[in-house]
Amino acid sequence: MTDRAKPLRILVAMSGGVDSSVAAALLVEAGHDVVGATMKTFCYSGEDEEASSKTCCGLDGIRDARGVADELGIPHYVFDVEEEFTRDVIDDFVAEYAEGRTPNPCVRCNSNTKFRDLFKRGRVLGCDGVASGHYVRLDRSGERPRMLRGRDSSKDQSYFLWGLPAQLLRRLHFPLGDLTKTEVRERARRLGLVTAAKPESQEICFVPTGNYRDFLARKLLPTHPALSSGAIVDHRGRVLGMHHGYSGFTVGQRKGIGGGRTEPWYVLEIRAATREVVVGPRHLLEARDVRVGELNWLAPPPPPGSRLDIQIRYRSPALPCSVAAHVPDGLTLALRKPAAAVTPGQSCVFFSGEEVLGGGRIRSVSGASC
Amino acid sequence: MQGIAEPIYLDHAATTPVRAEVIAAMSRCHAEDFGNPSSGHSWGRRARRRLERARASAATALGIPAAHVFFTRGGTESDNLAVLGRARHAIARGTGAPLVVTSSIEHPAVFEAAEQAAGEGARHAVIGFSNGVLDLDALKAAARERPAVVSCMWVNNEVGLELPMADISEVCRDHDVVLHSDAVQAVGKVPLALRDNPVDLLTVTGHKIHGPTGTGALIATDPGGLQPLHFGGGQERGVRPGTEDVAGAVGLAEALRLAVEEVEAESTRLRAIRDTVQARLAARVPDLRINGEGLPRAPHILSLGIPGADSDTLLAALDAQGIAASGGSACASGSSAPSRTLATLYPGETAATLRLSFGHLNRARQVDRIVDSVATAIERTREFARQ
Repeated sequence: MTDRAKPLRILVAMSGGVDSSVAAALLVEAGHDVVGATMKTFCYSGEDEEASSKTCCGLDGIRDARGVADELGIPHYVFDVEEEFTRDVIDDFVAEYAEGRTPNPCVRCNSNTKFRDLFKRGRVLGCDGVASGHYVRLDRSGERPRMLRGRDSSKDQSYFLWGLPAQLLRRLHFPLGDLTKTEVRERARRLGLVTAAKPESQEICFVPTGNYRDFLARKLLPTHPALSSGAIVDHRGRVLGMHHGYSGFTVGQRKGIGGGRTEPWYVLEIRAATREVVVGPRHLLEARDVRVGELNWLAPPPPPGSRLDIQIRYRSPALPCSVAAHVPDGLTLALRKPAAAVTPGQSCVFFSGEEVLGGGRIRSVSGASC
Repeated sequence: MQGIAEPIYLDHAATTPVRAEVIAAMSRCHAEDFGNPSSGHSWGRRARRRLERARASAATALGIPAAHVFFTRGGTESDNLAVLGRARHAIARGTGAPLVVTSSIEHPAVFEAAEQAAGEGARHAVIGFSNGVLDLDALKAAARERPAVVSCMWVNNEVGLELPMADISEVCRDHDVVLHSDAVQAVGKVPLALRDNPVDLLTVTGHKIHGPTGTGALIATDPGGLQPLHFGGGQERGVRPGTEDVAGAVGLAEALRLAVEEVEAESTRLRAIRDTVQARLAARVPDLRINGEGLPRAPHILSLGIPGADSDTLLAALDAQGIAASGGSACASGSSAPSRTLATLYPGETAATLRLSFGHLNRARQVDRIVDSVATAIERTREFARQ
């Protein structure tokens, strides 16, 4: 990935976690002129301080990233990207939940903040490229760089990177793409990095408590429909009960509904306009047609009729499908086999074999096999 | 960093390298006169002699009695001791909620100590500015309430603004109020003339004047009015218990002596460099604000207000060119807490701040590169912000 003859000046996004620490170390080892950078994405002072220190992006993350950079002998800067991050990630996160969808804020950050906005700053420092600790590979052997899944299939993070600006690809470096997590931890230990044994971060960085409903309540009015009670109805429209705000639900989520049913029921749909959460048996969750919007392509778009694989959740298996049609604001896909829990708002990533072709956001689903 | 020209240090207001004379004086303490000054044996006696000579030397440098010098472990500790020590003393005497008065542009070591006092039962009154000038009428009004302490810094650390200490001192004397001043940025940069501008409490520190980090002193005319922040021994007459750092005291005293001895020549030299950089940047960079321009300023600080840029990127760009500077102040970098000083002087303005602070490591021949590097970094950072 970085085995080029000419050393480059590369800005590496360092969260303070083990992955980006090792990524920085590998670039230094490869002889590049490396500059570490940590984004300050939002103001932590108003948050639960104890909780914020637990996550990668908290102030402890900044301290750890700086410590690793000092050990590696590279400069490290903290960039305040709060304005951009709020606009491109947090506002979108809130708007999506308000509309009854389930967003991927990490995708939004990768598509906008982490690479594009950091690279802009890197340019001011004379950097030629930007690197991160994502488990994904870049194949530079052909005419255009191709993004490939990470070698470690259990860590592959290509799902989160479909939204990168394509023209940025040739500027990117992913030093961990050929490594497994175990190898990365081993490298960190051998290098004596302070972050070697750090736990994985799980929460959304700007919701360090993990309670996104509280976060939404602070961003939206507490009286917002997304946080107000509404009806839980079944697929035939019968009211089964009440809920305390549809933002607490995700399509595909298993919903315990009383009444002595033998099979579990699932959230089928969130109707923001009427505040209804529709539930039903699992087979109604299955969809065959998926409409995807807000597309981004890292490779030439496949024409209608093309076969490709899609991934609709992080770590979920690839699903074979074909491009049914290109529509003005996206495309429709026909799944070969119906799939459950195709969740509006989530990313749908397009693959051809190992290559990430692009992706978009799931708009709607239909063709349930009932 | 590869292939950059000679690095230039423009962050003397953050800290300074220890000068050779100081290192020489200290190393003798470390190696030979290492005893505990409280011990009765010959090692203790030697250490005690070194400590008391350092006290006398520091006192001479400041033109005050040696008995007023209390060694501490730094500027923050001295500031905390002055403000919180006075407030707690007053709270302990139990005559209502005592008042602590500070200017609105104090260093956090003073301001946060005053806030802490407020949390413990005192009241914190903040004196503002009007067009960059301390509101003396407000100070007088506050002084009439007989505060436990008034704290006004001699020279502001972010902008270099000199506060009108003669006037402040007069107000406090007229109202018989204890005055503290944080003078860490003033020593060696402006003449203190404590005889003309008497204060009751004064903070000095070593590392801003080419002395060792972790050394400082609180000058106190009436230590009885201070409640100590530490407990456990009678050192420094109980004002600052703990085994004395003899080498540190010696280093601080030597740095103080030299800084005061050289203040006239050094301030003239630094003012010439600072003013040249300022004039040339102002001529070259559009929309540049010189923070504190037209107001009395110490000679070593140049604070620039730069609309259309962000200071993180600007500082990184400068660092990439080998120029060490800081934003508002080094303490605040990494935290994007808005600066109280700049909010006071330029309310509502959001320009990035760049602080260049000059000192021993700077020479007139560096001016060309400083101007070039700073101007280029500002241009690039603004260009990036427009994207």
